Amino acid sequence: MSKFLKFTASIVLLGAAWATNANAQDADAGEKVFRKCAACHAVGEGAKNKVGPELNEIFGRVAGSLEDFKYSKAMTKAGEEGLVWDHDSLTEYLAKPRDYVKGTKMAFAGLKKDDEIANVIAYLATFSESAEQAAAESESAPAAAPVETASAAEPAVNAADAVIPEHGVYHLGREALPEEIAAWDIDVRPDGVGLPVGSGTVADGGVLYDENCAVCHGVFGEGEGRWPVLSGGFDTLTADRPVKTIGSYWPFASTIFDYVHRAMPFGNARSLSADQTYAITAYLLYLNDIVTEEDFELSNETFSEISLPNEENFYPDDRLEEANFATNVEPCMENCGDGPAEIVMRARILDVTPDGDEENGAGGID
Amino acid sequence: MSKQPQKNKNFVPSRRSFLQGGLTAAGGAAVAAIGGGAALAAGTPDPAITELKDWNQYSGPGVDAAPYGVPSPFEAHVVRRDVPWLTADPISSINFTPLHELDGIITPNGLCFERHHSGVAEVDPAEHRLMINGLVDKPLVFTMQDLMRFPRENRVYFLECAANSGMEWRGAQLNGCQFTHGMLHNVMYTGVRLRTLLEEAGVKPAGKWILAEGADASGMGRSIPIEKALDDCLVAFKMNGEALRPEQGYPVRLCVPGWEGNMWVKWLRRIEVGDKPWQLREETSKYTDLMPDGRARRFTWAMDVKSVITNPSPQAPITHGRGHTIITGVAWSGHGKIKRVDVSIDGGRNWQHARIDGPSLSRSLHRFYYEFNWDGSPLYLQSRAIDEQGYVQPTKDALRAARGDNSIYHNNGIQTWYLKSNGEAENVEVS
Repeated sequence: MSKFLKFTASIVLLGAAWATNANAQDADAGEKVFRKCAACHAVGEGAKNKVGPELNEIFGRVAGSLEDFKYSKAMTKAGEEGLVWDHDSLTEYLAKPRDYVKGTKMAFAGLKKDDEIANVIAYLATFSESAEQAAAESESAPAAAPVETASAAEPAVNAADAVIPEHGVYHLGREALPEEIAAWDIDVRPDGVGLPVGSGTVADGGVLYDENCAVCHGVFGEGEGRWPVLSGGFDTLTADRPVKTIGSYWPFASTIFDYVHRAMPFGNARSLSADQTYAITAYLLYLNDIVTEEDFELSNETFSEISLPNEENFYPDDRLEEANFATNVEPCMENCGDGPAEIVMRARILDVTPDGDEENGAGGID
Repeated sequence: MSKQPQKNKNFVPSRRSFLQGGLTAAGGAAVAAIGGGAALAAGTPDPAITELKDWNQYSGPGVDAAPYGVPSPFEAHVVRRDVPWLTADPISSINFTPLHELDGIITPNGLCFERHHSGVAEVDPAEHRLMINGLVDKPLVFTMQDLMRFPRENRVYFLECAANSGMEWRGAQLNGCQFTHGMLHNVMYTGVRLRTLLEEAGVKPAGKWILAEGADASGMGRSIPIEKALDDCLVAFKMNGEALRPEQGYPVRLCVPGWEGNMWVKWLRRIEVGDKPWQLREETSKYTDLMPDGRARRFTWAMDVKSVITNPSPQAPITHGRGHTIITGVAWSGHGKIKRVDVSIDGGRNWQHARIDGPSLSRSLHRFYYEFNWDGSPLYLQSRAIDEQGYVQPTKDALRAARGDNSIYHNNGIQTWYLKSNGEAENVEVS
């Protein structure tokens, strides 16, 4: 098989894509592009060979086949090996003539822009009966050539039919529907904004907690393994090992509701109803002595009565006031510190680097 | 392929396992003993040269043997690792970037550390939506295709977990910069400015905060002030040129340059604009910094200037003996570019300027080198970064003096590696 036949076989898909785009090419624009060719080539009524062959009926012509024109040996040979001029072969040839047919005597370097190539081919097609016919066929049977572009994009709708929204700067996206916002916007703030209508008691919550939560967080919120401890830890925040729980550390009760509702139980998120979430939240407040009665009912109405004891002990980031944040202080470069450095702490003492041993270090992340 | 020391799936080259032969992971017999290469040069012909190798004789696999290429089997030890005792369950856990195996500034996608709160969400991009609601002129929904039609930009940013080095607050604990500093990666993102999306919806004047929310089963959410949202936040869908990895938030994540990694919400599905912060779990019970007086800082977002020597380090001992030696590491700051890195080999008594090589970009890793002639004596290696704002990386003692032992997050203290005469390195603290 010659290289030209191979090429033709390999670009069947490209050809199909081209056919559907045939109308997009502009023969009128191609006439202007053809001015670059006209010094050597003639086309149209009465066209004669010049430095290059005349180009009437170029579509379907075997390369190097005009008897009254003296081709390069390379072009004659290409024709003998099967090169026939069509949309695809002309596209390749006009981009880089001397690459496509090595040894052609056409001195033209090639057209750089794809649209120039497409347009000049469309112009030449108007002087070829076979090309006109092919274009007509592809127009009359568009469904026969489904577009399978290499990018696997979805079949394009007619671009001109796309509806462009009026909003915004780029007019992209669409308006979110109220039902859609309601489905996703479940966040709850400390001021109660976002709380759904509902209610649940401590007693109800206890049952739900034992079923859904205790396996990880412990029956009394003490935490199993390294799962988060939820209760107790009072007055430990200045201790050597603080225990940060809802009662000892968390600033806002709304965080309990929000988190349980969006992310718990672990592995089955968003499975608790609003009422169930109120109940579990009430029970967690009970485990932390924030409420004391088992018949206490937490609801969107009573939520504002709840505050957590540690709320006032949070304050905004003030790291920049630390001494080590002083700027543009040139650090010591020579003879810093007192005497030679000496080791005061070694990782090998603890040796909790994971290497298969069952040793645990201090501090955790959860 | 059988040359890898695949003792077991969880093999980790700690200090001890290195001594037990883990060094062969670094590439074969040449590192079996210090000076091994030099001994060969003393007159015995090197079989690596004199013997015919398989790869020198037989053809290898053809193209497409691996349609998506993978590293050499000799690099099989270069992987993320976790510290099982840190967390209750691997589904809500973290692993660490092998910093000691990397060079330059870009972290390969498959080695970027993972932190999930309910595992990796497997999101079908065709069914993924990004919603903007709240205090906006018009709440909007975008498909992935919509997002990709906004003007894009490419930016390199580090992401550091606020808890990086958090296990070291009380003193040296983990032997390996992968474990002490590996909650860190540096990636070139392609995405759309969050500002562009917010302007498409139109932020109302009362909008002072945004909530960024993920599509995963933890419903990850963080409040971000509108100033930052309108500044440099990026809604990214590509990392290092290819689609985000699932564990990094495919198909789309938020980048909050210079700020703690928890805010870089993965599988980003919703931005809500509001007039107050939401005070969700990750910004109240977590990612708040407990101080010695029992009070706690909140909204400690920026990651401060920091650096670490990655080689040598406990997982990457020096095996070549004395002579010309390269110390290298990374430096970064959430406040901008790194202006300078100093290196000390005597535990901070004397410092020399390191050489920064490669791109110097704001809020991106910087690579530094310090080359010297090691005489084989024990050293205390430290690095100290200074950023363009003039902030100087502090000592761990200075941090403890200001914050005590229990603040967990934002430990940017100077790291010390004790380099021994045999080339091993250990995580220590010095006076």
